Amino acid sequence: MVAACGRSDSGVSGGIPASIRYPDHVAAGGNQPPAVEVKNPIPSDSTVVADGGKIFSAMNCDGCHGGGATGWVGPSLVDGRWRYGGTDGALFQSIFYGRPRGMPAYGGILSPGAIWKIVSYIRAQPVPVTVPTESFK
Amino acid sequence: MPAKDYAATRYSRLAQITTRNAARLRPVWSFSTGVLGGHEGQPLVVGSTMYVVTPFPDVLYAFDLTRRGYPLKWKYRPDVNPTALGLACCDAINRGAVYADGKIIYNLLDGHTVAVDAVSGGELWKTQIADMGQGETTPMAPFVAGNRVIVGPSGGEFGIYGWVKGLDVATGKILWTAHNMGPDSLMLARPGRGRYRGDANIGVSTWEGDSWRRGGAPVWGWISYDPQLDLIYFGTGNPGPYNTEQRPGENKWTNSVLARRPRDGTLVWAYQFTPHDSWDFDSNAEMILADLVVGGRMRKVLVHFDKNGFAYTLDRVTGELLVAEPFANVTWAKGINKRTGMPIVDTTKTTGASRGNVQGICPSLEGGKSPASPAAYSPRTGLFYTATNNLCMNFEAAPVTHIAGTPYIGATTPYVIGPGGHGGEFIAWDAARGRKVWGIKEKFPVWSGSVVTAGDVVFFGTLDGWFKAADAKTGRELWKFKVGSGVVGAPISFRGPNGKQYIAVYAGIGGDWFLLSGDVRSDDPADVRPPADFAKDLAQHTSQGGIVWIFGL
Repeated sequence: MVAACGRSDSGVSGGIPASIRYPDHVAAGGNQPPAVEVKNPIPSDSTVVADGGKIFSAMNCDGCHGGGATGWVGPSLVDGRWRYGGTDGALFQSIFYGRPRGMPAYGGILSPGAIWKIVSYIRAQPVPVTVPTESFK
Repeated sequence: MPAKDYAATRYSRLAQITTRNAARLRPVWSFSTGVLGGHEGQPLVVGSTMYVVTPFPDVLYAFDLTRRGYPLKWKYRPDVNPTALGLACCDAINRGAVYADGKIIYNLLDGHTVAVDAVSGGELWKTQIADMGQGETTPMAPFVAGNRVIVGPSGGEFGIYGWVKGLDVATGKILWTAHNMGPDSLMLARPGRGRYRGDANIGVSTWEGDSWRRGGAPVWGWISYDPQLDLIYFGTGNPGPYNTEQRPGENKWTNSVLARRPRDGTLVWAYQFTPHDSWDFDSNAEMILADLVVGGRMRKVLVHFDKNGFAYTLDRVTGELLVAEPFANVTWAKGINKRTGMPIVDTTKTTGASRGNVQGICPSLEGGKSPASPAAYSPRTGLFYTATNNLCMNFEAAPVTHIAGTPYIGATTPYVIGPGGHGGEFIAWDAARGRKVWGIKEKFPVWSGSVVTAGDVVFFGTLDGWFKAADAKTGRELWKFKVGSGVVGAPISFRGPNGKQYIAVYAGIGGDWFLLSGDVRSDDPADVRPPADFAKDLAQHTSQGGIVWIFGL
């Protein structure tokens, strides 16, 4: 198990509470997150990205978003397109508070510090070049 | 009912369409469902009305077959919680409705069963059967035996505690709940009584600790019923997680067939196809009931094409294994020991987090046959007809954490096309002898159900959007028509109010995310995921979109 799953990490900022316990974290994803802007307190480096990748797998993110975050039940997170905003802060809120149509709230399950590492991992993935024309032979 | 009869044969006694005239089939009607998800399951014709359930948002349409153009009589739009979209492992599909007691009964994806008045479309009852908070969703087609509606959940990828429930047809009230593992009291099993031969609390002792509580065993496939024996038969799905090292033991009764009393759910017998599953070999495929001469004796049998690549013929009175032979390319086992019923496993193909990336496992976890593609049986030819996949996989497992309502998987499993280079084959199978009689090879995996008729014509569809008729005796292709999208639904045959025989089928590719690869998946314009590596050119032949087709002479 990955150490970052612990709830003692620091990294709280911008009004995000250290931990929230939802009675039903799946349904909680239908609630609107608070309108605050949160900033990533952790500078990204290869260690943080690698940790984030481990958490992404160990906490079942890949179960929905696919290995390498390329999409499965949930959308791809590496195609450069975002439904709820693509800033670090928007990604954090999507993970912490969840989103409608099935994204559970991970606030209270993951520490804010662990969520920031996941954000760093996602941001470090290469975005493919979009090719508008595809020819079939 | 979803599979035509209690025995789940998908055999139609109609014989106007024959091997001689099938080439003259033509489309007589089509209808866009307005939904892009995978259109599994089948329309349901009751009297002069055809009922169609769409994938999420699970709209129910009723068409009047007595009038020109088959106009809509009504449509029922239930309130379905969209959270279900993120919990359904394999597209927001629905496998169809059942008719009983003047009601159309079907499941909504968000864990509810509804009964709608078959004449007026009014909602009669709605019962919550499943808990999305635990990762349960409900795309399967309910089954009715006597005055019980039998339902089960999906969620083998979400660490659910699998079950079936019996509801009262009249009120929708849940009368019993039977779990597929755990203590005998929760499995409704009585060891030593009747034919149930499981050891006491085998649903606990074949697991480590309390791993059975999140051990999967969903019931998302098809159910059949023998009214004389008063037994329902259904398959259970994979154990969770995929990482075997988090659940040592045989994990009973995952990947099994269970025979239960519909009235109170009592477990009468069970047989496990893949003990301690290493490969996600769900056993949710249909259990077709037939009377066959096996080994010189007439037997009441149950025939099942498992994801694990073996076709099984069991005595449905006792659960005794009679025949088990591979119908697809199999590398994980050398065979099935007929005496013990246990597979002879090639241990080099066993997976687990400490075993690294295990290569060359056939079939893939999509199955030698997808349980979503139900087979048909013709008592005229004595043959079973089924879609098959020719896929293999590598399997790299990893430890995972159980968080209710989130995936509980722990494996990366890329696929490749198997030996021969064809993605799939539609085959005719002799279940008494355990051998293939004929096959039609297809470029892509074959993912459709089938129907066979008394005119000795068998129908199936392909992922590249062809709907085909073949001679049930020889496999000769008689006719085909391009239906606009890949077929993952199951065709039906019905007699119209004008006395003529028709064939109906859904087009609408989907149902498993790998089928939605690349620009095939157009429902979300923001989604540009790369094509599946084994079927890069599928997008050349099809894209999403649900269409109901009716064909006639």
